[in-house]
Amino acid sequence: MNATATGIPLKEPAVSAVAGDTEQLERAYIDASTRVPVLMFYTSAMAWLILGTLLAGFVSFKLHEPDLLSNISFLTWGRVRPAHMNVMVYGWASMAGMGTAIWLMARLCRTVLRYPLLLVAGACLWNLGVFLGVCGIVLGDSTGYQWLEFPRYAAIILFVAYTLVASWAVLMFRYRRGEQIYITQWYLLGAFLWFPWLYAAGQLMLFAVPVQGVLQTAVGWWYANNLLFLWFGAIALGTAYYMIPKVIGRPVYSYHLATIGFWTYALFSSWTGMQRLIDGPFPAWMITASIAATILTMIPVATVGLNHHMTMQGYFPLMRYSPTLRFTVFGAMSYTVFSVVGLLISLRSVASYVNFTQASIAYSHLGLYAFFTMVIFGSMYYIVPRLVGREWRYASLIKLHFWASAYGIGLMTLMLLVGGFSQGSSMENPTLAFSESVETVLPYLRGRSLAGLLLTASHFIFAYHFGLMLLGLGRTSTVPTFLNPVEAETSGGH
Amino acid sequence: MKGLAPLFLGIFGTFAFSWVGLTVIPNWQIGHLNPQSDEEGTDIYPQPQSGMFERGARVYVANGCVYCHSEQVRPDYAGADIERGWGNRRSAPRDYIFERQVLLGKMRMGQDLANIGARAPAGQASPLPAGAAAPAGPAGGTSPAASPAPQGAASAASPSAKQSPSSSPPAQAASPATAGSPSVATSPAAVAASPATSPGSSPPTAAAPAGPQTGVGAPWPIQTVGEPAMYSAAWHHVHLYSPRSINVDSNMPSYRFLYEKRRTHEQRSADALKLTGADAPPEGWEIVPTYDAKCLVAYMMALNQSHPLKDVSSVSGAPATPAGAASPAPSPVPAK
Repeated sequence: MNATATGIPLKEPAVSAVAGDTEQLERAYIDASTRVPVLMFYTSAMAWLILGTLLAGFVSFKLHEPDLLSNISFLTWGRVRPAHMNVMVYGWASMAGMGTAIWLMARLCRTVLRYPLLLVAGACLWNLGVFLGVCGIVLGDSTGYQWLEFPRYAAIILFVAYTLVASWAVLMFRYRRGEQIYITQWYLLGAFLWFPWLYAAGQLMLFAVPVQGVLQTAVGWWYANNLLFLWFGAIALGTAYYMIPKVIGRPVYSYHLATIGFWTYALFSSWTGMQRLIDGPFPAWMITASIAATILTMIPVATVGLNHHMTMQGYFPLMRYSPTLRFTVFGAMSYTVFSVVGLLISLRSVASYVNFTQASIAYSHLGLYAFFTMVIFGSMYYIVPRLVGREWRYASLIKLHFWASAYGIGLMTLMLLVGGFSQGSSMENPTLAFSESVETVLPYLRGRSLAGLLLTASHFIFAYHFGLMLLGLGRTSTVPTFLNPVEAETSGGH
Repeated sequence: MKGLAPLFLGIFGTFAFSWVGLTVIPNWQIGHLNPQSDEEGTDIYPQPQSGMFERGARVYVANGCVYCHSEQVRPDYAGADIERGWGNRRSAPRDYIFERQVLLGKMRMGQDLANIGARAPAGQASPLPAGAAAPAGPAGGTSPAASPAPQGAASAASPSAKQSPSSSPPAQAASPATAGSPSVATSPAAVAASPATSPGSSPPTAAAPAGPQTGVGAPWPIQTVGEPAMYSAAWHHVHLYSPRSINVDSNMPSYRFLYEKRRTHEQRSADALKLTGADAPPEGWEIVPTYDAKCLVAYMMALNQSHPLKDVSSVSGAPATPAGAASPAPSPVPAK
């Protein structure tokens, strides 16, 4: 096949074999209807991403320069850090994920977006909730539970906002055309329904009717882990299942594998979480169950990975041209890396080394950035041109964005993992003073800050490019922006 | 896949399975633990915490201490926590039943704090003996209570504390005797004396001989001459105010915003920080902890899991201390 301008075809995956002119028109019509809500979510997400990145840099530098602005209560490390995490989790990742999910939902239900006001109100309220929550954290109102730090007033607003979005999703489902429910929709429907249950269960068991003693920590980690898998992971996997076949114009390799992958994912990944409490004051069976579940998550990893790989088989050279494909495939591959690292650090023998070290930070960043965020970046490169009617202006900026992100997150993961292991081995050696373990990890933390600078650069580049698109300064062209000039070379048969 | 019903049921089912399995069943198993006691029903452990403890925990949470400090001791087969002297036995669910918010932590950029209170010098292990006990009333925190007694913050209560080692096992009424004292708390004399003058009910936590012995491993940081005794309340204040004055390698941020700089009136306040070098305030000024800082230190001083638990074996060398001697929790200071 020729990788000419039309060599990257835009056919529907699996769902519809025939893509006629009417369908093209219809799709353009649906895309146009999603314009306002999706752009609202994306724009807010970008703003939070920039804020979160600045906070992250601050957190990272303060960890090895502790005297930096430490006399101001709301800039103390212990407040900026949860502010950074929550801005990224609820401001950036959730909003960008919802933006992509909304667009996919409309496309896959094959109907124009109805009730846009629900989404507009949802986006406004969500922003308000995140804003109040972050203010609450820096003013010293944090609840202290990982990823649930937002004080109650912010949590309630977030929940209301979320209810609006989720009810929209369910309504859209009722208007869908066609009997088939595409794989992406399983994941999206799962994410849309899991999140409110999860959030409500977490809030209830921690704040409304708090459980006793150490169970609070168990509920906290159960929430955080399921948020990572059932909310972010599900959105990212669903998006990858759409974008990869879509961009290369080829149906998903196996529907059966996808089914197995989805149900094992839902079943096993939801049982993980307690492995983070390893050796803690808990009944051993809880931790063992989660370790077992973590091992079993290799089934969905293998099936999903195999499915994507076989779909991509022979089309990998297209990553040279399509920004969407490059980001999405990077993210999909990171899903495997993320899961394998998660498995390694939860085995009891390894965990006794890395349990209380920076390695768990590496794990969260692998999941939330290398996997989720990269997939979402990819989807934004696909979706935004269809919303604003312009193509991305500079291929060079996209390339810079990709490489800065990829090297940034790669370096960060490496630094935190290696640093975590050396920190752990110093800590497990009682003949060394405890401060040795901190000394050991500090050089790695400086390296992490360097990686953070790369990520900061990548995010500013992307935000600038995104801003150009919003202002209508993209290219007017019928051909998408390719990363490299498409020569008349053949890319098939590789 | 066709049809919404199977999809929906599956999505709901997997989630419900995980929710029941990982939160409901554990809650049924360990969610309703009671304190343990000996045959006579005395020597109750753990015991409810004071109001200062609760507020100190809030300060701990608000400033994100939990992101660098854990509060759990791992068993001897996993990690070197016990060899490091962070505890004489592993932590168990029962240790935490009275904590409104359990802060087990997931990171150790700083030491484990599960037994930080037990590491206080003997005579200091009482949750809030000296400087911390004084401010029970809000007045103590802000008013420059002129203190004629030349007592250092650290040593204020130690003599008296030694007199009440293991009087009676702590009844649950830990605080009534001192409940009256906050009214007079502004008077330094009353403060210093209060542990001694409340014989019956002052909990025997005042002296925890078990404390120092638990530190088997390499001590960290190293006690420097001229500084308050390690892990005493006064030491904690100096450490929070200026971590690198105690350990140059520390990467803990300073929490100066929890302290107040004010003019000295006639004499230094009892709770003024003993700072040296560049941290020392200019002549005529002093650095005193705010009430939040005092609560935070009170919280840390009360973190103590050295009391033996029936279902967990302790390491020898830090044996079961005389009844009640190591009882960690109850603070003599009433919630305010």
